[in-house]
Amino acid sequence: MSAALSIRGLSAGYGPIAVLQGIDIEAAAGRLTVIVGPNGAGKTTLLKAVSGLIPREGEVLLDGARLSGSPASIVRRGLGHVPEGRQLFAQMSVLETLQLGAWLLPRGERSARLDEVLAAFPKLAERRNQLAGTMSGGEQQMLAVGRALMNRPRMMMLDEPSLGLAPKMIEELLKIVLRIRDSGTTVLLVEQNVAKALAIAEFAYVVERGRVVLGGSAKEVLASEEVRTAYLGTV
Amino acid sequence: MGFWLELAASGLITGGIYAVVAMGLNLQYGLMRIMNISHGEFLMVGAYLTWWAQTILQVNPLVFLPVVALMLFVLGLLVYRLCFRPIARTAANAEVVEARSLLVAFGLMFIVQNLAYLVWGADLRGYTFLSDSVEIGGARFGANRLLVFGFALAASLALLAALKFTLFGKAVRAMMQSPTGAQLVGIDTAVLHPAVFGAGIALAGVAGALLSMVYEISPSMGEPYTVTALIVITLGGLGSAGGCLAGGLLLGLVEAFGMHFTSPSLKMLLSYGVFILVLLARPRGLFAR
Ligand SMILES: Nc1ncnc2c1ncn2[C@@H]1O[C@H](COP(=O)(O)OP(=O)(O)OP(=O)(O)O)[C@@H](O)[C@H]1O
Ligand SMILES: [Mg+2]
Repeated sequence: MSAALSIRGLSAGYGPIAVLQGIDIEAAAGRLTVIVGPNGAGKTTLLKAVSGLIPREGEVLLDGARLSGSPASIVRRGLGHVPEGRQLFAQMSVLETLQLGAWLLPRGERSARLDEVLAAFPKLAERRNQLAGTMSGGEQQMLAVGRALMNRPRMMMLDEPSLGLAPKMIEELLKIVLRIRDSGTTVLLVEQNVAKALAIAEFAYVVERGRVVLGGSAKEVLASEEVRTAYLGTV
Repeated sequence: MGFWLELAASGLITGGIYAVVAMGLNLQYGLMRIMNISHGEFLMVGAYLTWWAQTILQVNPLVFLPVVALMLFVLGLLVYRLCFRPIARTAANAEVVEARSLLVAFGLMFIVQNLAYLVWGADLRGYTFLSDSVEIGGARFGANRLLVFGFALAASLALLAALKFTLFGKAVRAMMQSPTGAQLVGIDTAVLHPAVFGAGIALAGVAGALLSMVYEISPSMGEPYTVTALIVITLGGLGSAGGCLAGGLLLGLVEAFGMHFTSPSLKMLLSYGVFILVLLARPRGLFAR
């Protein structure tokens, strides 16, 4: 069910602006890999390049098979992406949003999958007829995660799901992330809460100015001088 | 009493046509930012095809309506592929799409119009169809005009229902609300964009077919409808199909009553007056919350 993601020599940017230069990242199957880095490092750009939202050079492999083409064709291969800013459909209800999440599923499987996701997110089930745009930040983030899960991804990328949320909600979202991993889906998580993220992850990468400057087991990265001073503020 | 009813009805009939034309243009602009000012030309093509079918093949124009829709849909796919897909692919953002598509559509307008002059000539054409009048509540209406209104309303409501209730319609709205979100659930712009462009052109064709049942047609008949459609979209709100229906009917009524109290030659002036008033007072549309 889970799939390994390999990013090799990936470069990307916006028109003439080069942002990423030769990124190499491995997300091991069934594991949680975290990417941390300062604002503007290129983390969001990396996820967008992987899912085909912006053009890229280099290779992206899902279980050894090349991922390329339009976002739709990449999502079809089993990649889920919860993007920065959630990108919800403001005028759609929770139910409609989840139905759209099942766009690529065979017709016969859609309603069963909807029931599964609603069961996994009781808070969404309670608000099934509320418009996405009127929900709280935490609820919206849950909806964005639920929408991506509808397609039964083998590999899931989440871009700062905890951004702007209260501590309690952050805990809840990280629990959801762990649940996704434990259900057998590989997770690649971009997160600013470095301490919390490294505590639950198996592997971690530090990205700065468009390059990977550090990578390894989450323990090693957590123990490194660099991360302790720059990200955790401890010596 | 009968007279006012007739006046209101004539406003609603024209308004129904406006709504259909505007909905088509709104689909194209709302989803893809394609400023297709050649939209009205496809209304004209739909009108001539129906006239041809009626005069050459003696096909009932109502029976021919779905055929026109299909033919214009296919024509729309072709036009999208040749003219607008290259723009969408190379443009860096929506503003660039808007500017370039406007120029291309301007050229397209001349090409289609001149082809029509070449094929069908400059004379006014027409045919009679159900021109007997019916009496309702002391007012007399042409049967064909009532029919046209009924079909325009039905086409509008069908589109509204499709957008609201079908998964494909929801995908179209999702793409308008968040293109990134829509792409990430796997909705493919390479399928959706041509299909929606084609549907927009098909609506213009249907409006033209309906018009040919009541009015004489000419190769230059389309242009004013493009302008009116832009006004209706401004009234109803960008990307809102329901707003188009309401806005179209409203503009039809305003024109009918306005012309009665002033003069028929002021029709365009009335439309523009409404347009400017709305732009000044409610720039996001009459029904925007
Ligand atoms: N659409 C765009 N056009 C041009 N430059 C962009 C665009 N989006 C991002 N950038 C630039 O690319 C660089 C990387 O941005 P990115 O959003 O990937 O950073 P990030 O690591 O996700 O930061 P944050 O932690 O603040 O979300 C930044 O310098 C940013 O200004
Ligand atoms: Mg970011």
